[in-house]
Amino acid sequence: MTKIFYMIRKEFLQIFRTREMVAILFIMPVIQMVVLGFAVTNEVKHITLIIADRDNSRLSREIVAAFSNTDRFDITGRETDVREIGLDIHRWKAQAALIIPNHFGRDFRRGLRPDIQMIVDGLDGNAAGVSVGYAGGILREWAEAQARQTPRLAMVKQNTPQLELIERLWYNLDLRSAQYMVPGIIVVLLTIISMLLSALSLVKEREVGTLEQLMVTPLSRFELLMGKLAPFLILAFIEFFVVLGAAQVIFPITMKGSYALLSLEAFLYLFTTIGLGVMISTIAKSQQQALFLSWFFMLFLLMMSGLFIPIANMPQFLQDLTLLNPMRYFMAIIRDVFQKGSGWQYLFTDTWRMTLLGTLIFAVSVLRFRKRVS
Amino acid sequence: MNPRRVAAISAKEFIHIIRDPRTLLIIFIMPVLLLMMFGYAFNLEIQDVRVAVIDDDNSALSRQLIERFEGSPFFTVFHYQGSREDLETLFLERDARAILSIPENFAATLIGKHPAGIQVIIDATDPNAATSINNYCRQIVTDFNAGLSGGAAMPFTLESNIWYNPEMRSAPFFVPGILALLLIMISALLTSITITREKESGTLEQILVSPIRPGEIIIGKVLPYILIAFLDGSMILILGVTVFKVPFVGSLFLLALLMALFVLTALSLGLILSTIASTQQVAMMLAFVLTLLPTLLLSGFIFPLASMPLPLQLISTIVPAKYFLVIVRGILLKGNTIAELLVQVLWLAGMSVVLLTISWRKFSTNLER
Amino acid sequence: MNEIAVQTQNLTRRFGKFTAVDRLTITVSRGEIFGFLGANGAGKTTAIRMLCGLLLPSEGEATVAGFDVYKSSEAIKKNIGYMSQRFSLYDDLTISENIDFFGGVYGLSPALIEERKEALIEQVGLGDFRKRLTRDLPLGFKQRLALGSAMLHDPPIIFLDEPTSGVDPRARREFWSIINELAAAGKTVFVTTHFMDEAEYCHRVSIMRAGKLIALDSPGKLKESYGRNNMQDVFVALVNDEDPRPEEQL
Ligand SMILES: Nc1ncnc2c1ncn2[C@@H]1O[C@H](COP(=O)(O)OP(=O)(O)OP(=O)(O)O)[C@@H](O)[C@H]1O
Ligand SMILES: [Mg+2]
Repeated sequence: MTKIFYMIRKEFLQIFRTREMVAILFIMPVIQMVVLGFAVTNEVKHITLIIADRDNSRLSREIVAAFSNTDRFDITGRETDVREIGLDIHRWKAQAALIIPNHFGRDFRRGLRPDIQMIVDGLDGNAAGVSVGYAGGILREWAEAQARQTPRLAMVKQNTPQLELIERLWYNLDLRSAQYMVPGIIVVLLTIISMLLSALSLVKEREVGTLEQLMVTPLSRFELLMGKLAPFLILAFIEFFVVLGAAQVIFPITMKGSYALLSLEAFLYLFTTIGLGVMISTIAKSQQQALFLSWFFMLFLLMMSGLFIPIANMPQFLQDLTLLNPMRYFMAIIRDVFQKGSGWQYLFTDTWRMTLLGTLIFAVSVLRFRKRVS
Repeated sequence: MNPRRVAAISAKEFIHIIRDPRTLLIIFIMPVLLLMMFGYAFNLEIQDVRVAVIDDDNSALSRQLIERFEGSPFFTVFHYQGSREDLETLFLERDARAILSIPENFAATLIGKHPAGIQVIIDATDPNAATSINNYCRQIVTDFNAGLSGGAAMPFTLESNIWYNPEMRSAPFFVPGILALLLIMISALLTSITITREKESGTLEQILVSPIRPGEIIIGKVLPYILIAFLDGSMILILGVTVFKVPFVGSLFLLALLMALFVLTALSLGLILSTIASTQQVAMMLAFVLTLLPTLLLSGFIFPLASMPLPLQLISTIVPAKYFLVIVRGILLKGNTIAELLVQVLWLAGMSVVLLTISWRKFSTNLER
Repeated sequence: MNEIAVQTQNLTRRFGKFTAVDRLTITVSRGEIFGFLGANGAGKTTAIRMLCGLLLPSEGEATVAGFDVYKSSEAIKKNIGYMSQRFSLYDDLTISENIDFFGGVYGLSPALIEERKEALIEQVGLGDFRKRLTRDLPLGFKQRLALGSAMLHDPPIIFLDEPTSGVDPRARREFWSIINELAAAGKTVFVTTHFMDEAEYCHRVSIMRAGKLIALDSPGKLKESYGRNNMQDVFVALVNDEDPRPEEQL
């Protein structure tokens, strides 16, 4: 056991010898978290919009006002010529255009249901759909307000019963993205650091030749690996708290659940990521390859974790495939603990699956890691 | 500049790369897998949301309402039988993401021509999904009301015209993104490592004692990676156009040209990292962190930049992928010409010049000392 | 004194189709300085790696300190010190940290580590440099330090793979005086080298060519039987595949 202590001490000495490494370990992740925490939001806002008001009546101007009063659209220009509008969209000057036809006001008052047109740049299918939805919502609201002022225009016949929808949002009343995304980003950062660090460090010792020296010592394979990996486990664990603390200070997010539970889960998860690191180190021949492999591994883990593409949206076979992704479990766990304050009984399934997976990954990696050369 | 010497260095670097087929395998197989995965997984539209229904009324009218939920492609409806106190377990166990509750005399109230309220409780942990769920519920209620009142509609119609991608598919959106990711990875990541590796192992000195000039070293070393990046990029594009049916409206020549520009920018980024990092490990960590997440999240690849707070939009101006995405999407889907993409081109060119100049200076001084 | 430290019987290692070590049969007794010569790529490092339990043989038998290389490689590791051909200390640790580390992983007590560290630093003459990073040391010092680190646990058998390549003549002489002391103290030293003057210091030398053992005897006997004045000529003749005997003897 004392042998492991010496291994750990050596590893820490090496890590902390390089100033830059300390910065990469503790400052970079915080910076990344701050930047990405603000960046990652699925909301679509500030869609650049051209208004073509061909009517220029009181009513049409009201509609224009309604569109300029929201942060969902930024009116970037007024242009009635369709050809010009087309060119602007073509040249990335605007993403959408709203065309209010001639005589809109008159036809509207006469109940002729005039046709408003919207042209949307469909490159980003998601944003395109969302912007049409927004426009419909703004117009509907405006029309409802009109109806209240001028009952003749009412959308629905009076005296018919109305069904009202009362919405209750639980856990995240203000629908703040950060509340959902920041814990997710913490998971990603934690995974990168722990996986990459353990993979690179093992491959490096092999490249330099010191691993061979270690292999002729009486250290058992277990001691050798533990001594090599425990430092990263400890570091990543400390890192977890640093980033978690920073997140709570910087973002208006609340943590409803138990820190003890979260720490335990994080610990279990880190085992898995470090196991992945060892796995990569047994496949890769050089640090460069290790880096490549980690990079792709990371992308796969990330995409299939539910960080920003909900797993429920994927086709069934991909959903089944995500069961093999350890990040998926910890992503769900940290989010539930943060927002719902879920107790362990609700996280049990995720936890045992994650742990089983982690144990498997670790076992395979340890078996693949030989105390012999090549 | 002596082309022979450059070729000698390139040849050596090339041997390095192909000597180990594993690297090649990673470089050429992984992108295909990545593309496939995006193709299937990239779907931001929610679906199959499980809704628990508590129908205390159990009338013809309430069943009609529930049928509307059942009929929607977004919802999977099931009846909740458990106790009211334990309602939250539905969310905690992740059994349901919304709970629809219809009060006891729902039908009676409506028939008595009074407004009746139904409640929907939404698990808002994922705010984006919550918004969508909320919108779909509202839509159903609006339709239901329209049904009650005999079908009066909006006093106007909204006709939408989606250009370039009328079915709003995601492939035209993510294929350029993957292209950017890969090019940046190969160019920036690889260059940053190769140069620090030589520094560390002492082979750089070996090269330096030969009459080669620093510029020749750099060019020689990055040439093979440019080639690989190009091959990889073409592979992605071909797959994107054939398998994922991404339209290709614009000029192939222009795309190739600007792809080269982007690769140049990425290489300069890799170079500068390798000149500032003292060890291979530091260079790698830096390159990893600086290429993966910003390219994925701060470039407009997935998250629209316009929705981000201003400081972040400012940060995103130095993410090269941001410009490249506009370029690729523009050429592929809109058929943009170089004049229409001038802003993006100038940004990329400017960044390359600045980065190259700095790393050139640093590199030369490092060596001459 | 005549116990056997290392014994091999037809020890063979193949990499794919290529045979790096071909039916090597040797016996090294305790207290012997056993030299291992051969051109680059002859298979010396491969043979040593098999004996240290780092590489599994493809065929043949070998025991080190009485332990079988197939079954008891871990037991072997307790009884050997190994200095690999590549530099084997951590160059981003200080001298003192390196010694602490290797002592620690060999399971020595802190007191013992401290004692041997002082002795080693004293012996190598690095007193003022103990807080220096290893990468900043001259190579001769590094190599002697590496030897000391590989010996902290006082093993009976030591494998040294080209310990003196790149080291200046004075440091080399000091290095060999340490080796002689070790042998005198009853330790077995298994050493590879490309320096023929060093070969002269060995009790027995073996010469390998393309994986095969082509000569094995004391330096004196080798020179005598091949009729050459120095080991250099014997070596060149042997590896050139000439018939090593001078013409007049034919
Ligand atoms: N892991 C391996 N895979 C394939 N071939 C190998 C491997 N290790 C060594 N070889 C080959 O085996 C042969 C013997 O190598 P070895 O390192 O044992 O030679 P050596 O006698 O130590 O040479 P040197 O004096 O250069 O150190 C060489 O041709 C080498 O290329
Ligand atoms: Mg050798």
